[in-house]
Amino acid sequence: MGNTKLSGMGGMLVISVIAFIIALIAFYGLNHLVMGVQGLPLNLDLSPAG
Amino acid sequence: MYHKNKSVSAALRSFLGRMGILFLLMFVFGSTSTAHAAGQGASTDDVKQRIAPLGRVAIEGQKFIEVEPIVSAEDTVEPMAAPRPSRLDYPNIGVSSRAVVWILAQMHLFFGALVLAVPLFVLVIELMGVKTGDERYDAMAYEFMKISLTGFSITAIFGGSLALALFVLYPDFMAYMMHVFGAQWLVYAGIFFLESFFLYTYYYGWNAMRYGNLKWLHLTLGLLLNGAGMTIMVLSNSWATFMMAPSGVNEVGVVIGDIWEVMKGPLWNPINLHRFIANIAFGGAVVGAYAAFKFLSTRDPVKRAHYDWMGYTSNFIAILAFLPLPFAGYWLMAEIYAYSQQMGITAMGGILAWLFIVQAVLIGTILLAGNFYLWSGMSRTEGSVRYQPLIKYIALVLVVCFLIWVTPHTLILSASEIAELGGSHHHILGPLGIMPAKNIAVNLMLVVTFLSFQIYRRSDKVATVSWVKAGNALLVAIYMVAIVNIVFLGVYYGYFTNTVYKVGSSVAQVTSTLLVIITGIVIDSLMYKNAKTLPSHWGRIPDRSQYALFALPIAFTWLMGLMGYVRSSVKTHWHVYTVMKDNSPDNFIPTIGYAGNMITIVTVLFLLFVLFMFWVANLGATTQPKPVIAGEGGVG
Repeated sequence: MGNTKLSGMGGMLVISVIAFIIALIAFYGLNHLVMGVQGLPLNLDLSPAG
Repeated sequence: MYHKNKSVSAALRSFLGRMGILFLLMFVFGSTSTAHAAGQGASTDDVKQRIAPLGRVAIEGQKFIEVEPIVSAEDTVEPMAAPRPSRLDYPNIGVSSRAVVWILAQMHLFFGALVLAVPLFVLVIELMGVKTGDERYDAMAYEFMKISLTGFSITAIFGGSLALALFVLYPDFMAYMMHVFGAQWLVYAGIFFLESFFLYTYYYGWNAMRYGNLKWLHLTLGLLLNGAGMTIMVLSNSWATFMMAPSGVNEVGVVIGDIWEVMKGPLWNPINLHRFIANIAFGGAVVGAYAAFKFLSTRDPVKRAHYDWMGYTSNFIAILAFLPLPFAGYWLMAEIYAYSQQMGITAMGGILAWLFIVQAVLIGTILLAGNFYLWSGMSRTEGSVRYQPLIKYIALVLVVCFLIWVTPHTLILSASEIAELGGSHHHILGPLGIMPAKNIAVNLMLVVTFLSFQIYRRSDKVATVSWVKAGNALLVAIYMVAIVNIVFLGVYYGYFTNTVYKVGSSVAQVTSTLLVIITGIVIDSLMYKNAKTLPSHWGRIPDRSQYALFALPIAFTWLMGLMGYVRSSVKTHWHVYTVMKDNSPDNFIPTIGYAGNMITIVTVLFLLFVLFMFWVANLGATTQPKPVIAGEGGVG
């Protein structure tokens, strides 16, 4: 029972981490895209390029 | 040519004293469309043909007498520049002309917005009724139309009064506008006939075309009604945007393009979009007040359930339309800045900037009222207990962001106050007065309002799909990363990089908010497909929640009056910006107090007329009982 709960919590943790990674990539890409479209390119660390 | 138009204006004024509105409009349209054709649409050959008979005057029974034309063809086609009226060219009627036009124009716009918006969502609700087979949708859509029907007449009355006031009080300006837009005015008038036809057939044909193919015919009439209404709106928007950012004319106002070039100025589409969305939000809020009034005035549980549902639907429409509205407003302001930086600074950096603080208060009121109504509505279903713990956090974010949004940047201070403060800006609150902080605040308020909306929608459902946990985890992640991203963009680019990046990052903030809304709708739509539905108890909502539905239209009306005034005032001392100067006694931006009083007067006036509209809507359903005459049917 305890193991099942642990694996359930572990599974939820993995799902949450994956979800956060997806969200981070999406918003990071969005920042680059939106700023780039406006002619304001960004470096990898999101600082203004050039 | 200019003298010709001066005489037209004088004739118009004398005509006005004697004739009714219909004849006046016929005269105006007739004379100005001719002027338009001669001034901008006609070729030199056309003009020669038209003036040729002047040189061949024939007296009955005599030969033709050859007379040299007094005016040559070249003189006649000389283009008309914008008039330059002197102070004396503006009639003095003893009260401020601007105040008269202000009230009439604003009342016309309020009611115009209402009657354009209501048929839009009525059509959607009617279509939902057809798709779901639930006749309650149909009944509600019909009731919405019934409420707004009087509004069409009131809109027309204020529109006619506004036209008369403008012709009397600003004759040179109106002569110029008639010249520039020419036959478009006739098209505008013609579409009114179409709109009236579709309105009456749509409303009065509701029960006659209720089922089967006839229902689709009825929906088509509704679509055409909306098409006519939208066309009227975009045509009249082109007049306002021409005055702000003229196109199709040269620097002295001579028409150099066709009517399409005159209409499609740089601000036309931003205004079209902004008014389209705002009208829907405004219309939803006004009919919501009707539902709240009916809800509070009855104890019948069936009626309370009906009006609770009606109020919920109205609030749903108002808030859903309101969420993207700041972005449309942002686009409009960006285009204003792109067109004329001075105009933009007048709006947001000069005296009018204070009104944006008032705007923040009003939008904060709308968001707090809308959220409060949603939270109150969660009591309709037991399923809401799952989400109620979130409400306090949403409220906290709303209040903190609201306070940031209303923090002014530059305070009006005395010398001693500046000395006490240590400068013109407060060392802690000062940074909250500039746009990056406000952009963060408004985006977060919209994100959490959508969260309220989302948990409300989830309250009476239990998802049955296998990926519920993954979907919820993704949603939580999207909300959290979006909030961090909005704050990061605002703080980093807003305070630590140059202005170009500051402005650019606000677009990324907006897209972050939109991403939350779009992914939220998509994920929930998929997750709650075939979901288990928990019982909802319509009518089981605290009475106090209904006051939020009253607060919404009041705040919306005041807000529209306020921002409409700002939009119009950015022209400063121009009738048509940089082309035709305003030399009337009112050619200045009034004090904030005066503007505030005017906006309040118009708001109160509108609300009184709305009450009249509701009263008339109820009057039709009231039947007076037959009076009992003394002696008849007495005690036996």
